[in-house]
Amino acid sequence: MIGKLLIANRGEIAVRIIRACREMGIATVAVYSEADEESLHTQLADEAICIGPGPSAQSYLNMEQIISATLVSGADAIHPGFGFLSENARFAQLCEKCGITFVGPPSKVIRMLGNKQIARKTMIDAGVPVVPGSEGSVDDIESGLKEAEKIGYPVIIKAALGGGGKGMRVANTPEEFPEAYATARKESEIAFGDGTMYIEHFVVNPRHIEFQILADSQGNVIHLGERDCSIQRNHQKMIEESPSAAVSPELREKMGKAAVTAAKAAGYVNAGTIEFLLEPDGKFWFMEMNTRIQVEHPVTEWVTGIDLVKEQIKIASGYPLSIKQDDVRIMGHAIECRINAENPKKNFRPSPGVIRGAHFPGGQGIRVDTCVYNGCRIPPYYDSMLAKLIVHGDNREEAIAKMQSALGEVIIDGIDTNIDYQYEILKDQDYQSGNFDTGFLSSHTIAGVKINEN
Amino acid sequence: MRIKHMFKKTILDNRETEREISPEVPDGLMRKCNACKAAVFVDEVKHNHYICPHCGNYFHVPALKRIKMVADRNSFEEWDAHMEENNPLNYKGYEEKLQTLREKTGLDEAIITGKAKLQGMSVVLGVCDCRFMMSSMGEAVGEKIARAFERATEEKLPVILYICSGGARMQEGLVSLMQMAKTTMALRKHSDAGLLYVPVLTDPTTGGVTASFAMLGDIILAEPKALIGFAGPRVIEQTIGQKLPKGFQRAEFLLEHGFLDGIIKREDQREVLSEILRMHQGTEQGNETEKNATKESGWKEFEPSGEFSAWDHVQLARSKTRPTAKDYIQAVFDDFMEFHGDRYCGDDPAVIGGVAFFHGKPVTVLAQEKGEGTKDSIARNFGMVSPEGYWKSLRLMRQAEKFHRPVICLVDTPGAFCGIEAEERGQGEAIAQNLYTLAGLKVPVLSIVIGEGGSGGALAFAVADEVWMLEHSVYSILSPEGFASILWKDSKKAREAAEVMKLTASDLQRMGMIEHVIPEEEPVSREEMDNVTEYLEKGILEFLEQYRTVQPDKLLEKRYERFRKM
Repeated sequence: MIGKLLIANRGEIAVRIIRACREMGIATVAVYSEADEESLHTQLADEAICIGPGPSAQSYLNMEQIISATLVSGADAIHPGFGFLSENARFAQLCEKCGITFVGPPSKVIRMLGNKQIARKTMIDAGVPVVPGSEGSVDDIESGLKEAEKIGYPVIIKAALGGGGKGMRVANTPEEFPEAYATARKESEIAFGDGTMYIEHFVVNPRHIEFQILADSQGNVIHLGERDCSIQRNHQKMIEESPSAAVSPELREKMGKAAVTAAKAAGYVNAGTIEFLLEPDGKFWFMEMNTRIQVEHPVTEWVTGIDLVKEQIKIASGYPLSIKQDDVRIMGHAIECRINAENPKKNFRPSPGVIRGAHFPGGQGIRVDTCVYNGCRIPPYYDSMLAKLIVHGDNREEAIAKMQSALGEVIIDGIDTNIDYQYEILKDQDYQSGNFDTGFLSSHTIAGVKINEN
Repeated sequence: MRIKHMFKKTILDNRETEREISPEVPDGLMRKCNACKAAVFVDEVKHNHYICPHCGNYFHVPALKRIKMVADRNSFEEWDAHMEENNPLNYKGYEEKLQTLREKTGLDEAIITGKAKLQGMSVVLGVCDCRFMMSSMGEAVGEKIARAFERATEEKLPVILYICSGGARMQEGLVSLMQMAKTTMALRKHSDAGLLYVPVLTDPTTGGVTASFAMLGDIILAEPKALIGFAGPRVIEQTIGQKLPKGFQRAEFLLEHGFLDGIIKREDQREVLSEILRMHQGTEQGNETEKNATKESGWKEFEPSGEFSAWDHVQLARSKTRPTAKDYIQAVFDDFMEFHGDRYCGDDPAVIGGVAFFHGKPVTVLAQEKGEGTKDSIARNFGMVSPEGYWKSLRLMRQAEKFHRPVICLVDTPGAFCGIEAEERGQGEAIAQNLYTLAGLKVPVLSIVIGEGGSGGALAFAVADEVWMLEHSVYSILSPEGFASILWKDSKKAREAAEVMKLTASDLQRMGMIEHVIPEEEPVSREEMDNVTEYLEKGILEFLEQYRTVQPDKLLEKRYERFRKM
């Protein structure tokens, strides 16, 4: 078993990992930037090493410093958390080269899954349903029209080098195709200096359903059910829950099998997540695989009773899974709300600063994962997430009621937060009846705010 | 709430029995940057042009890697490998030392030479490697360089040398010193054959190498912050007993002091070198036969665009909204590459000089630049040229002649700089040398007065085959203020002076001092200059077509006649 673990992260996830280690009797090393000297993770760990100035590029993304800190502290493993270096194949490879255990999959798996085209091909070969699309690039309108006909409308035209919505256009009909293609291509040429385009079937307002999987180094792979993360603002998840109101036991079994197949095809080891798009008629498509612990992992932990971070550490230490697929039971319903330092009324502008005082709810079925304490400072350099409020009830109704009650009790004094905005989502009729998809926030006015999807 | 040292720790290091191997960094994975001292991954540095990802420090590049970075893939063909080595002084242990280094570096000597392609263009490429005795120059190094130049002369190829060196190789005594002369002689033959040589100076370039082939390029480039000098800084400090200023003998210092044409970042070097080669492709004297100048001239008789007094013209010529040389360079020419330095003591920002393409063919552009906005104008001394500026232009005129490039001069100066330093360095002599050189320059020269043509300072750029003026430019013996002050002892009478001085374009055309006037429908400004630049472009094209094929002796005869009759 890992004896001493360095946590290459900050904020609540670093705290979460340190707590797991404390319970497991594993010594912990925190790394921190100059802006985080008094952060909770820095103080809670057994040791802490400063790795550079506030900006992430000079600290939490500085591989040399983190590797050096690991060697200096005598740690034998690194947990990367999420964000930062967690899905950086080069970093994982460096750990391998230095004989440091990386709590995550092998570097070559991260690299493969990070390449959309290769990942897509791997999944197609394994028989995992992937959004239908052109096999190669689509170089002109005529061949594009033919491809689109095969794939089925609506289609989305995507730049090979695309990102941030640029070089992307939807065509609902063959009539719309030529102009959509020309515009997307022109945008791509201007933005990326490259006009290589692909087309894919466009899934209209799907639900974002992801499956948690666990894979050990002996080749055992299980899934722990799904999470519904459809409440998103510009691809930023806000509320997650498990199970999904849209997934029946039969569908769960089907999708779960696909998820396990996908993980096996990728040669996956450790905890990972398979993201699917789910259409109203029950068709689902593989989107991508996340090769890290996710922000929303606590909802899965609560409905399955499995501590995912502890499992990660055990897998990384070479232990086989102690649970079999048949042992996995989904019990009750869990919901997570992300509490961010941001102002929804000002286009969700981040709101760093000093938290003068904070009050969090407690009691049966309520969990708070946070790095906040009275008087703590939220630096401007990092993600704005302050806390995750997670509740568990016997069923969805109870969980929603619990979340409303709990959210209504949160006080964070000194900076702006999205608490009220979250509270309003919970009150929405469509949300309560489970009738929502990824278009929810842009089609509903919440607390006087309507999201403009770009 | 303070949380420092409040939490109970749970250290339960359970590894004592289990831990077999502890993590460690394998050899060669990381190294320390010698500038910022940070640990860096060797792999990352190698993929990043051997530049420190943290502080931007340039690491030394092994010769073979350098060839890979610069030349087209697999295009390098090595010459003179395994050169026989002598020990002229029978210096004890020298042979053994060479042997050890050969084994350690995999190199034969401190330089690799050969032929390569750069974006498809053939070039002789030599690269020094400082891992080999600090790339000092012994007989083998000198021999390889001399042979490279000789073969380049034979094959009519340009030469690019990536240079670094500690200087002469002490172990070889005077034989090493003679390599300075030997390389220079071979280089001279190559240059006399009208061929291009571009040294790229990298850290460190010192001693006898600096005092020979490193400083003899047609275009001398350097890497940022490279140490370049004759005597090493430590030697200087010990000799004069003074601490040297920061940045002394660094590339930036040399650029400022006129010894470099430019400092080029590693990631841009391949592109810049290719561009330079492209500018010098097929520049041998044209086989084109002289064309009859029967082609209809596009010039129309000049008609003034309105009623302007001479003083109006003076004011317009000096206007702050009037485009300056760099605006015209940008509008009229393509891919202009500026070259710096006079090779004596400075780089005058009042003169912009370099090579550009005009309708696909290279031309040398020399321009007096007044600057835009207060800061830039001060930096450029409001276009008042110093001796360094004339020396720079002189150097670039001669370069144009060597490569058979026409010269286009843009004149815009209140006058040559009037100051102590300018006189100390011989302002008069500098201007005179320009007149002298232009009088015999064997390539077509066109001068265009775009703003103020102030006296001798302007003429130094205007001993040309043709001189043109923009409608609202002026060209005069001195400023109207100066004229009034000398003749009437009252500089306030500048307005009257302007009227009698005959300094406007139309006056001067009437007097036969200039060939053409470029009309300005509206007084030209930075925002609205298309009319003028279109006119200029047509005119320059016609000029070049007409003059490019004229044989040099006829050209000079014509130029002689032009001024002889004035």
